[in-house]
Amino acid sequence: MSLKVQNIQAGYGDKAIIGEVSFEVQPGTILGLFGHNGAGKSTTLRAVLGSLPISSGEIYLDSKRIDHLPISDRIEAGIRLLPEGRGVFVGLTVEENLSVVAEANLRGATAGIQTEEIYELFPILKDKRHSLAGGMSGGQQQQLAFGLTILGSPRCVLLEEPSVGLQPDLVEDLFSHFRRICTQYNIAAVLIEHKITSALKIVDNVLILNSGQVVFHEDVNVTRNTDIWGYF
Amino acid sequence: MLFLQLIADGLVNGCAIGVVAITFTYVYTTTGVFHVAHAGVFTLGGYLAWYLSKEGIPFVLCVALAMVICAAVGAAIEKGIYEKLLKRQATPLVQLIASLGLLAVLQNLVAILFTPNVLQFESIAWRMKVLHFGPIDLTIPQVLTVFTAFAAVYGLIYFSTKTNLGRRIRAVASNRTLAEITRLKPFEVYVYVMAISSALVVLPSVFIGLDQAMQPYSSVLVLLTAVIAVISGGLGSIRGAFSASLVMGIVQNAVLIVVPGRWSIALTFTLFIVFILFRPTGLFATKIRRAS
Repeated sequence: MSLKVQNIQAGYGDKAIIGEVSFEVQPGTILGLFGHNGAGKSTTLRAVLGSLPISSGEIYLDSKRIDHLPISDRIEAGIRLLPEGRGVFVGLTVEENLSVVAEANLRGATAGIQTEEIYELFPILKDKRHSLAGGMSGGQQQQLAFGLTILGSPRCVLLEEPSVGLQPDLVEDLFSHFRRICTQYNIAAVLIEHKITSALKIVDNVLILNSGQVVFHEDVNVTRNTDIWGYF
Repeated sequence: MLFLQLIADGLVNGCAIGVVAITFTYVYTTTGVFHVAHAGVFTLGGYLAWYLSKEGIPFVLCVALAMVICAAVGAAIEKGIYEKLLKRQATPLVQLIASLGLLAVLQNLVAILFTPNVLQFESIAWRMKVLHFGPIDLTIPQVLTVFTAFAAVYGLIYFSTKTNLGRRIRAVASNRTLAEITRLKPFEVYVYVMAISSALVVLPSVFIGLDQAMQPYSSVLVLLTAVIAVISGGLGSIRGAFSASLVMGIVQNAVLIVVPGRWSIALTFTLFIVFILFRPTGLFATKIRRAS
């Protein structure tokens, strides 16, 4: 499923945070969305998810326009978000976290990403399946949060700083797993990440925002040969 | 002997308050609404059962029908009022005020439809029958209060941990935003929670009514005591709310040994204030942390 964002503007109150942002993400590809703090990265993801209304522009999932739809309908259409920091049900065990989301997203279907696959990706979750999610370390919670985001059949995944709290080797692991999953399940993904060097290993395209404006938008191969730091 | 009898009576009161407390905390932790209109549903349930029993319907069926009707009323309150307010970004204070208004409406509706006077289940002959447990005497409604309360508590705990819907409810209570983006449909969950809580709260209402009497406006004190138990037990804990209710019920009765009856509520509430000063998180608060 492809995601197409066309000239969107959004902000809080009268204050516009992003203006005229456009990009397209094809199925099975990942767009790296970079920029300094306050550049408008999270605002862009929130506009796509629908938790923040846009003041102008259009958003399409495949060819269907979704910018007027409430969050619940966009979720039903297959958009998923890994929110920064608050991505697990802290009062439930790891197993309960996964089972409750699997029940809502898989409903017994054998197609799609299953709980067992999440346990294979992150063996620590299987070891800790009877532990309360809120009692685990930040890194373990982040692995669970990632699992909850991709469980089922997501079509378009938005990741907000997935590496937060993870050890460096786990970041590389998580990214390579994510790359494989996106390709295997034909998921269009947008990745916000401050560990840009690691992120560049898995993304297909790069978009850099500066003060809410698109200042760089290129293929990853072009990006590798460009000094992108000047755009921040 | 008197002391043992007071403790037993306190346990019965604690059980009745306990069911109000666990259902109140179930609604509060899931929906975030301080649902004081729960006291109105409590009153309505008792009066419905009374009315149906007066019409000659078997008692068990009266209770079951009252529970079904109250479940529908609870679901309607959620759909018709709380959901609409939440979707319009109403603050918790606005929701509390709406709930207070609803409580007044429900109590007055009961007074208009049935009677504003004190009434008893006169058609139920066995309500005064006393059972002897050694030195302790309990009426059949008192015994039923204890049994149904424990059944409600353990039933709710089992439901919360062992069923998909129960886990989904806990997930929504744990993180509503995440529940929404993982397709757990929080608004649908709220309706279930209100229906379940509204059905269960009929049980103590009917048994208190059977054992003592009913009056449309007396439920506010029951709810107030239940809310205090909820806070003492640690917000969000079913076991905590029920245990604290038992303690409160027993203390309220045990202090009758040393103070006249009219002071027992004041003394209990004073003890609560002292307790909460030393342990503001309540008895059963769990340690959890969020990823940062």
